[in-house]
Order: sequence, then structure tokens, then C-alpha cells
Amino acid sequence: MRIRELRFGLLLVAMATPFVLHAQTPAQSAPTRAPNSSPAGAVPDLSGNWLGKGGGVSWDPTDPGGKKPMEMAMVPWARQKTEAARPPFGARATFDNTNDPVQKYCDPPGVTRLFSYPYQFMFVQTPKAVYILYEYTRVWRLIPLNQEHPKDPDVTWMGDSVGHYEGDTLVIDTIGFNDKTWLDMVGHPHSDALHLVERWRRLDQDTLEAEVTISDPKTYPKTFSGKRTYKLSAAPMAEALCSLTEMQAFQNDVMTPTTKPPQK
Amino acid sequence: MKKLLVLFAVLSLLAASSTVSAHHGTAGYDMDKVISIKGTVSSYSWANPHVVIHIAAKNDKGQPQDWVVELAAPSMMARGGWTKNSMKPGDEVVMETHPAKNGVTTGLSGTANGVLKFVVNGQPLPAF
Repeated sequence: MRIRELRFGLLLVAMATPFVLHAQTPAQSAPTRAPNSSPAGAVPDLSGNWLGKGGGVSWDPTDPGGKKPMEMAMVPWARQKTEAARPPFGARATFDNTNDPVQKYCDPPGVTRLFSYPYQFMFVQTPKAVYILYEYTRVWRLIPLNQEHPKDPDVTWMGDSVGHYEGDTLVIDTIGFNDKTWLDMVGHPHSDALHLVERWRRLDQDTLEAEVTISDPKTYPKTFSGKRTYKLSAAPMAEALCSLTEMQAFQNDVMTPTTKPPQK
Repeated sequence: MKKLLVLFAVLSLLAASSTVSAHHGTAGYDMDKVISIKGTVSSYSWANPHVVIHIAAKNDKGQPQDWVVELAAPSMMARGGWTKNSMKPGDEVVMETHPAKNGVTTGLSGTANGVLKFVVNGQPLPAF
């Protein structure tokens, strides 16, 4: 039942998109002013399909390439989980017997990992809410504007988000995550105390910046932050669902053979 | 027969690649090595999580050898100009790949950030 509701909600969003974009934003190809110079009270235009190059596989600000995942400051249980991780990226990357919840089970990647995939996403801006639609796994987020979080939100895969505009920036605050996802591509964990603040800003017509601040006092002693940039894409959003049957077939056909003992 | 011979010539030693795959890294592949393969397409799967090609080739002793080659996801290959019709079973292909480290006939030829050389029936496929 819940899946049906989600699909129906997404359909409504998709149906409303052409009108919303037309009503709220100038034509994408012919902006009348620099997108980062919105006058006071104006809503910045974040429309378009945005594509990252991937990379930034770790949120450790001193090690974005994940070359030293064990050196991130974390509490003992988090260190044990990181040590036990068999991740797809970074210094400890392996194809053998992965326990990455995305690769092994097609679990939702979680918000913090979605920043690092080289897939597209798009914003749908309406007066009362912003939606972010992701190409990878076709997940989406609802960000009500100018509201408070519920006092005791349920813990969910995508968390509870609220947002507001600060000049040319969309600020999103998210709490209420479950602890089933990895923080990043190298297997760093997080707890249900994860708190994410995103600041989305269009640097120019073709460039979008996300500044992300992450706090999780149950897991990491310090708050940390990082930036990712994305380029405007002319390509349509494609289907990039995570199908467990497709993933397992790929694992058997391609990845598993590469984990066998070396051949002479 | 000659056309089906695998050319195991190592073309070049490349710097460590910074390419990023969609859902996994490059841990199983020798990203410092690129080899050329010549053969016939057995299957071309335009599907998630990655496009996969099976190629019937022969090794340097003339023995049949099946290669499995991984590319990026369909959405990424499409952004680079490839389509589900870029090749079909029976096509003759000359292509490059990063071979598996362990010596099995599996290779990586494309990621989100680029694809190695592919020539199908004498026509080059889009590079990106």
C-alpha cells in the first residue's frame, strides 16, 4: 500500500512539474540575471538535471578519496564496523564477498551516499515544498518549506527534511535517519543521531554546489563538512533502478570471476 | 579465423585511473594495463547495473576464449552517445579493456567518465 502511495505521489509531482517550472522560474536557456544574484525575497532557480562526476567517496574532509578510511576520528563501535566493511571504493575496495548494503541487497543508498554517485538528479520547486528526484534507484525526497521537524520523527531511510531559502541558497535540514545505510562509499557507518544540513547554491548557470555539514555525536566526535559540485545536463533522467536480480546476475557474470585466485 | 584472434598486445601503461564506476570501484581490474581484443559479439546486454558484452575470441594459441566486458550503466553510456543498438550478436568487434587482475577473461572498458576504444564492423563507436 505504501509503495502505491509513493508511486502516486511521484506521479503527481511529475505531472505538475512543467507548470511549476514554468510558473516559478525563468527559461533555463535564457536567464535574465545571474542565478546567484537573486534579489531579496526571490526564490533561486535550481531547476534542471544535475550530474556529478562521482568521486568524493568518503566524507572524511581530510581524505575524500577514501585512501585512509580507518584514520577518520570515530568512536570504537564505528571503528569496528568500518574495519568489517567490504566496500566498493577506497583503499579497502573489494569485489569479493561485499557487505555493502546497496550492492548486496539493493538497499536504498541513503541521502549522504547519493551525493557521490555519477547519476543525475533534479529539483522540483513548488511554493510549499521542494522535491529532489534522483536517477539512481529512483528515490525521491520531500522537503517542506518553512516548517519545523516533527517533535519525534520516525526513523526512515531518507530521514525527515525541512527547508528554507536564504538568499540564493536552499538550506535543507534532515534528521530522523535509520542506521542501516553507510555514510559514504568506503563503509563509514552512522547512527540514528545523524543530522545533515545541506546548502544548495547555483554558482553559475551550469554549476550547482552542495555544501554539506554532517554531525553524528554517537559516531563521530566532531562535526565535519564537505562540498560537491554538479553540472547542468541536457540528458533526460534515465532509469537506474537497483534490481536485486539484475545486481546478482551482474555479480555472478562479471564481478565474482575476478575474485578467484590468480590464474597463470 | 585470423580476424578472431585475440590480440593480447599490451597497448600502454596508463597512470592510475581516477574513473569512477556507478556502484563499485575498479578493485578487480588492472587499471595500469590496456589490452586489445578482437572477436565476435555473442551478446550485448543494455541493462543495469552495467552494460555487459560477451565476446567470442581466440587466445594466442588459436583456442576459443570468451571475454566478458563491463561498461558503465546504460544511462551513462547513453550520455556518451551509445545506444542499445550500438552492437548486436554476430558483429565483429575490436576493442580495448582493462583486464582482471587475476587473469580471468573479464575486463572493464567503460565507466561514468569515459570509454575505451571500440570499433564495430569497422566503425568506431562514440568516445567520451
